[in-house]
Amino acid sequence: MPPLISLTGLHKSYFNEEVETPVLHGIDLKIDSGEFIAIMGPSGSGKSTLMHILGFLDRPTKGTYAFLGEDTSEKNDDALALIRATKVSFVFQAFHLLPRATVLENVMLPLLYHPGIAPSDREAYARKAIASVGLSDRESFLSSQLSGGQKQRTAIARALVTEPALIFADEPTGNLDSASGLQVMEVLEKLNAAGHTIILVTHERSTAEFADRIVHIKDGLIESDTRSHKRRRASADVKLK
Amino acid sequence: MNYSDLLSAAFSGIAVNPRRTGLTMLGIIIGVAAVVLMISIGRSFQGYILSQIESFGTNTMDIMPTGFEKFGGNLDSLTIEDFERVKRLSTVERVVPVIIVGKPVGYGREERTPMVFGATEDIFANYGLTIDHGRLLDSADEEGARHSAVVGYATALDLFGNRNPLGERIDIGGESFTVVGTLKSVGSLLLSDLDKPIFISFSAARSITGQDYLSYMTLKTVGDAEIAKRDITELLRDRHRIKNPENDPDKDDFIARSAEQVTSIISSVTLGLTVFLALIAGISLLVGGIGIMNIMLVTVTERTREIGLRKALGARPRDILLQFLAESVALTCTGGLIGIVIGTGTGWFLSQIANRILGEFHFVLSFSAILLAAVMAVGTGVIFGVYPARKAARLDPIEALRYE
Repeated sequence: MPPLISLTGLHKSYFNEEVETPVLHGIDLKIDSGEFIAIMGPSGSGKSTLMHILGFLDRPTKGTYAFLGEDTSEKNDDALALIRATKVSFVFQAFHLLPRATVLENVMLPLLYHPGIAPSDREAYARKAIASVGLSDRESFLSSQLSGGQKQRTAIARALVTEPALIFADEPTGNLDSASGLQVMEVLEKLNAAGHTIILVTHERSTAEFADRIVHIKDGLIESDTRSHKRRRASADVKLK
Repeated sequence: MNYSDLLSAAFSGIAVNPRRTGLTMLGIIIGVAAVVLMISIGRSFQGYILSQIESFGTNTMDIMPTGFEKFGGNLDSLTIEDFERVKRLSTVERVVPVIIVGKPVGYGREERTPMVFGATEDIFANYGLTIDHGRLLDSADEEGARHSAVVGYATALDLFGNRNPLGERIDIGGESFTVVGTLKSVGSLLLSDLDKPIFISFSAARSITGQDYLSYMTLKTVGDAEIAKRDITELLRDRHRIKNPENDPDKDDFIARSAEQVTSIISSVTLGLTVFLALIAGISLLVGGIGIMNIMLVTVTERTREIGLRKALGARPRDILLQFLAESVALTCTGGLIGIVIGTGTGWFLSQIANRILGEFHFVLSFSAILLAAVMAVGTGVIFGVYPARKAARLDPIEALRYE
């Protein structure tokens, strides 16, 4: 079985008025299904750029990116949008919820673009995802009425609803207090335990330690790729609020 | 994203800021209402004029000197002999010679200036006028050049008030006339008030004006008015020694105008006027459209992060384009619907007022105007929504998500 993600010699440069700014200098990386991997690095190291390329929001300048064994470099924008709609999803630091929409409507949003889920099934999918993050009693709340932790759990439910092969979490605890951050990480940990592949982008070691594997990036190159031994387990006494 | 998703996204988008939506739609509402109103009123007016002509009968024709319509034309080309010869044509049922007496009318110390027509008694039948009190003019009045007058409804009311007008004496051009009858109200014809004129016999008119030519002739034809018109034209050209094989109206010293011709001229004039007014009204739609584009550009900027999010969740550029296009079309369609209702309602209301003033003015609900307005509303939404929607569709998702 091919790895979920296989990067070979991946380069990325940005061009501004013909001035090239290289960001990634040749990344080789394999990620298997079911992994919980943290990508760490200081600001400007290229970790966000790497996540955007891995999440099909951006394209590499050079090198290959095989997803589920298939080279994605020749795919057009619509094909990449289809992968985003069906195979990958995102949890952002800033939540990015629609403020005037309810929790249920926010979670249903990705299903608008999923060709495989019938409109009549959308609510059922969304309710299931909301239940899995413990927010069933908040379904009809506007996202603006939620606490930070609840917002991020709503965002996780939105990421889960399409049952993607891969979930990206970009600094998911960055806007949360430590208790809410802990809850969010425990939700992600549980999702990984349930079989979801999670790629966490963070600059906080304590957050990265929830992952099985930590990849350090510095100056656009992988500095280290280590298996974590200090992984915390979800504590049974933490209740999701 | 299916059509129902698009529709729901579009309407929830415009419902976010109801006041702004309302103000933006105002331009479209006014534009569409103005287009519908102009076309409806134009059509109603056209219908009114045509029904007036039809009330005359389509086999009606007027023969007049060219000075009636052309500046510098003659006014004395039609003679009594012309009338006598026209009368004998087999295609003419009846013909009435008319002298317009351009003199004031006095009653006691009062003086008025209604139209005074000197004509034979058939004029009442030709114009559809019927007696209210007394009698119409008859052949005895004509033959004896009697100073008898039949007064229109409005003038009778104005001059005599509640008094019985029969037997009253009025002064026309310094001569005394006896009122022998008053007419029933018929309202107006082609915007001229038929309730105002005073009718005297043709012979009396000749005697007080000293005029030995006709102001015009009005006639009813037998069968097709065009055949009668050809006969009359041929006869008058022959009598007036006019050679005009090419039918150049400038060479004739008379004009033969059938009701059908008048109908067609009025139809084209009112159509032209309606189109012109609708075009002016359309300019306000253009201004409304620019307002829509402006607000949609603001909306795209305000919702940049939402656009980034939707793209991250799998929306294709086409999905974003359609979403914002649908929103702009939803704005213009809602505005268009309101505009159609307001335009139609205002048209109906104005028609009611016109009906009171003119009589027989019926509101014509123009489905083509409604269809045109609906198409224009949708078109405005599409045309002015495309640029903001394309801008939204082309946003880079990463940049959009970072937008502050």
